[in-house]
Amino acid sequence: MAPAPPFLRVEQLHKRFGELHVLRGIDLEVARGDVVVVIGPSGSGKSSLLKCLNRLEEPSAGRIFLDGEEVTGAGVDLPRLRRRMGMVFQHLNLFPHMSALENVMEGPRTVLGLSRREAEHGARALLDRVSLADKADARPVELSGGQQQRVAIARALAMEPAVMLFDEVTSALDPELVGEVLSVMKQLADDGMTMLVVTHEMSFGRRVADRVVMMDQGVIIEQGPPERIFMRAEHERTRRFLQQLAWDGD
Amino acid sequence: MSYQWRFDVAVDNLPVLLEGLGHTLLLTALAMAIGLVVGLALALMRLSGWRALALPAYLLVETFRTTPLLVQIIWVYSVLPLTVGLTLSPFFSGLVALGLNVAAFMSEIYRAGITSVSATQTHAALALGMTRSQVLRRIVLPQALLRMVPPMAATWVSLFKDTSVLAVIGVAEMMTQARIIASDTYRPLEIYTLVAVVYFVITYPQSLGVDRLFARNRVKE
Repeated sequence: MAPAPPFLRVEQLHKRFGELHVLRGIDLEVARGDVVVVIGPSGSGKSSLLKCLNRLEEPSAGRIFLDGEEVTGAGVDLPRLRRRMGMVFQHLNLFPHMSALENVMEGPRTVLGLSRREAEHGARALLDRVSLADKADARPVELSGGQQQRVAIARALAMEPAVMLFDEVTSALDPELVGEVLSVMKQLADDGMTMLVVTHEMSFGRRVADRVVMMDQGVIIEQGPPERIFMRAEHERTRRFLQQLAWDGD
Repeated sequence: MSYQWRFDVAVDNLPVLLEGLGHTLLLTALAMAIGLVVGLALALMRLSGWRALALPAYLLVETFRTTPLLVQIIWVYSVLPLTVGLTLSPFFSGLVALGLNVAAFMSEIYRAGITSVSATQTHAALALGMTRSQVLRRIVLPQALLRMVPPMAATWVSLFKDTSVLAVIGVAEMMTQARIIASDTYRPLEIYTLVAVVYFVITYPQSLGVDRLFARNRVKE
């Protein structure tokens, strides 16, 4: 059987910030429904990669295809592209002047032009999905970091994206709040969402990833199924990185 | 021989003074409205990152912030007609000068408010698929507004007092009325004291309100 064409394809992606060359030719393919976990030391370009995908950062060179359609270059409808790629960030960035429910309704209302009733109906279902139905009227300041990130996931899902991008979404959280966010993400993966997840939570990579991608200094140095990367990484750099994480955790 | 104070003369003329007060309030409200609208436009021009827009806005704002209001008023009233051939009544000249002066200060308040909303908010909104103007309208301005209200209220209070400078070109606001009454009655001491009292009575409560706004804003941060 011929393999399905990749849903998301990245070709020779480069990103420069002035002198700084943070992405140095990234090639990556993600099949529909796959969960790809991106690991690597800080400064390796993981976040820049995600932000280039929905063009919050403009790629310096290279091409990106989503579902066969090129999304790089001039003339691409950026709002439409971003609707198709949900993103959750490291920073807690719910809209502070809106309730949890209004945060989730905001995209459908403003961007998709849904009526208040339709948007609210969908938003309540999504809050229920991230187990926060009872917090619908809470303001972000009244929520824990973990709850805020779960609302942020619901807010991104409200746009019915084709791909979800997670940029170190548990890094800013207290350790005891990490689990609730990861379990929402695992549920999402089990439901078949295509996901690209930048994280330092190796347990998530081990349990949920279809593929793990190791980045260092702006390039992908190796990738493969989690059991291979975590148990028998080919590259010394990968082994050392994983070892350091294990020690840091002790 | 000591001076014989005759405040009854001043009080007799209070209705004429209060007639001027009506114009003072009208000028304050109109200049504030100009300031709010033009100030926002100037702030957005400067934040646009587009030099052809940012530079003229920058020059206008800095010109009005670094020259005295009195000079601006006289300039609009007497120089503008000679250079551009545009003759305005004292009222409109005064309104234009005052409005642009307020707009210059407002644009800085808007700019500070808008840039105080963190970039992560803009990223979150853009990632949902919002356009730049939707981000501004739905996410940035509502948050910035909370922080902008106290300094804007303070601007209103000083604007209310600054309208008195328009007396120099004879706009019929309260200070002009006072000057007329003073010369009619030969009682300038009483009249100018009374007009000071009227300004104080109206300004002081507003000024207290502004202090409260600032205090409330601080607690929220």
